[in-house]
Amino acid sequence: MIEAIAFYSMAAVALLGALLVVSLRNTVHSSLALGLSLAGVAGIFANLGADFLFAGQLLIYVGGIAIIIVFVVMLLGRTSDLHLRQVNQQWGAALLVCAMTGVSLWRLARGYLGVRAAAPAAPTTRAIGLLMLGDYAVPFELVTLVLVAALLGAIFFSRKSADGEVPS
Amino acid sequence: MSLGHYLLLGAALFIIGLFGALTRRNVIGILMSIELMFNAANINLAACNSYLHPAGVAGMTLAVFVITVAAAEVVVGLALVLAVYRNSATAYVEDFSLLKG
Repeated sequence: MIEAIAFYSMAAVALLGALLVVSLRNTVHSSLALGLSLAGVAGIFANLGADFLFAGQLLIYVGGIAIIIVFVVMLLGRTSDLHLRQVNQQWGAALLVCAMTGVSLWRLARGYLGVRAAAPAAPTTRAIGLLMLGDYAVPFELVTLVLVAALLGAIFFSRKSADGEVPS
Repeated sequence: MSLGHYLLLGAALFIIGLFGALTRRNVIGILMSIELMFNAANINLAACNSYLHPAGVAGMTLAVFVITVAAAEVVVGLALVLAVYRNSATAYVEDFSLLKG
């Protein structure tokens, strides 16, 4: 019962935030709604018993990605953006694509509506750590390499040279 | 709660993100919609892990990798957006026509 209440409230937060992200006209508001939606997904992880993912979601997504998106929105925004429409002309076709995808995903997911949890949730952080430094050691090292490359790429693309010119 | 509920939540979140990525004009709106789709995939990974294979944690580990790659993607994407904005002073994707010649 408690689990159902937690699931439905967190799902409502995540879906409402997502709807606000794609529908709001003001980009600052929709980036704040993105933070709300990501926090709702963190609640879903907590409901699943995925404690490490819950903490990682809060730290990286809510605390990092949502904040950096808000920063960039505030760097780029202009007041005149508030009067422009934020949706392109192809929204009808996009709605069609989404409806088709939705029907397919519904047909896939409804077969699992009867699958219940086999065991109560147990802590996962220790097992994830052991797996990352054991079987998944090579992907773990590769992803650290990807992070370093992303850091250098971000610095390279956003720097200015001494005379204010953008590097080509 | 059954596994299907989580899968349907992930599907709904993915569809909302897909709609946003297809229709937003602002490039940051597209990036935010892509983040929503990553989150839908993570919900599916974690839910399938804890319902179908509760003894292991491989799905959650894969979700951790997805989060990491998403963070790298959004950092590089936003730096690119800033660089393009400095050159062309626009954040709307239909104005990004530098490659058209």
